[in-house]
Amino acid sequence: MEWNFAPVIVSLDLLLLGLVNTLKVTGLALSLGVPLGLILALSRLSRQRPVSMVSAFIIEFFRTTPPLVQLFWFFFAFPILFGINMTPFTAAVVTFSIQSSAFFAEIFRGGIQSIDHGQWEGAKAIGMTRNQSLRRVILPQAVKRMIPAFMERSIELLKTTTLVSTIAYADLMYQANDIAQRTFRPLEVYTVVALIYFVLIFGFSQLSIMVERRLAKSGEGTVG
Amino acid sequence: MEHNWDFATIFTNWRVYWVGLQGTLLMFGVTATLGMCGGLIIGILRYIRHPAAAWPARAFVEVFRNTPVLVQIIWFYYAFPILTGIETSPFVAAALGISLNTMAFSAEIYRAGIQSIDKGQWEAGKAIGMDFAQTMRRVILPVALKRVLPALTNRGIEVFKMSTLASVVAYVETLNQAKLIADLNYNPIESYTAVALIFFVVLYPVVQGTYALERVLNRSDR
Repeated sequence: MEWNFAPVIVSLDLLLLGLVNTLKVTGLALSLGVPLGLILALSRLSRQRPVSMVSAFIIEFFRTTPPLVQLFWFFFAFPILFGINMTPFTAAVVTFSIQSSAFFAEIFRGGIQSIDHGQWEGAKAIGMTRNQSLRRVILPQAVKRMIPAFMERSIELLKTTTLVSTIAYADLMYQANDIAQRTFRPLEVYTVVALIYFVLIFGFSQLSIMVERRLAKSGEGTVG
Repeated sequence: MEHNWDFATIFTNWRVYWVGLQGTLLMFGVTATLGMCGGLIIGILRYIRHPAAAWPARAFVEVFRNTPVLVQIIWFYYAFPILTGIETSPFVAAALGISLNTMAFSAEIYRAGIQSIDKGQWEAGKAIGMDFAQTMRRVILPVALKRVLPALTNRGIEVFKMSTLASVVAYVETLNQAKLIADLNYNPIESYTAVALIFFVVLYPVVQGTYALERVLNRSDR
């Protein structure tokens, strides 16, 4: 067995392009998934039972079904059902936004519920409505507690985006498959790609550990 | 657009799904067992910080926690045979990837559980003449395992969902069978909806069970 990295090095620009696409899907899904998660969490905490039940169902459904099944559904079934064209990119962004929003919703809920009830009462006492107290008093404190759980979930999301390679979106994993098939060098290609993912994800993990330590010092526990 | 839902082909092909579900359950059983038993060993190695064990155990955990499972499965399917000359079937490649990933994640859960036990328990074990292994087995682990049970069941749920990734290397499991039906009958809507429903129906009660379990454990701790 002889290692030969030359074919990989020649295709490094393609891998880089894949990496950019991976980060693009992750970033977009994150920026849509977080607000969507907040909406889901607030409606789950709503006092109107139908609203809370519907959002609880959405959250549980997307947490209990495999992301790959959801991706296939949004790519193969959704376009026929609604007569909309779905590129692999939009299917990926839609799937991962909704999928991660279900997990973010649970983090938001945990954070909001972890805030002492006295804070709500205090806000009410000085005349704030429920919405105002949520926005001005509860969420600012809750979000700080949720940061570690958020970062962990975002790293999970980054790993999950490898699934888009199965519907032929040119992310890092897809580029690897492509190069491996063309160069007949799967060992080197997949090893290098595994290393790229490792460096990326390990870096983010270390960053989140650092942030968590700093938050712990400033007297905030973790939630979720 | 109007769509006429037609689940008839799904019901006439229920055997195809049944075969797939058996594949999913087999994959889950093997990977969850290997992952959680192996994870316990690695978790203990991580805990004792023995110079010979600590570094390899840490490296193992970091490598398998910080790479996507799909990359691991593909690596074991396409790269591993070239490196070692050992052919890996779709089942073996997927089982290796998912088990090793689960080992790494559950190792950290076990380690956290063991670390959460008060030092006094170790001292008490030592005081009545138990050695390290005896204290671990008789005193520490029973309490630690109870504490990490919710985290482990959550991992188990993740492992069950992860089994769908085996379809990428054409292992016969539920999603792979749905793909087959969708291609044969041109009914992706019904066939993929059916898989989603199957997973939901299997996992929803389990998730509710973990909530109940957490409540019970919380109460018995106080």
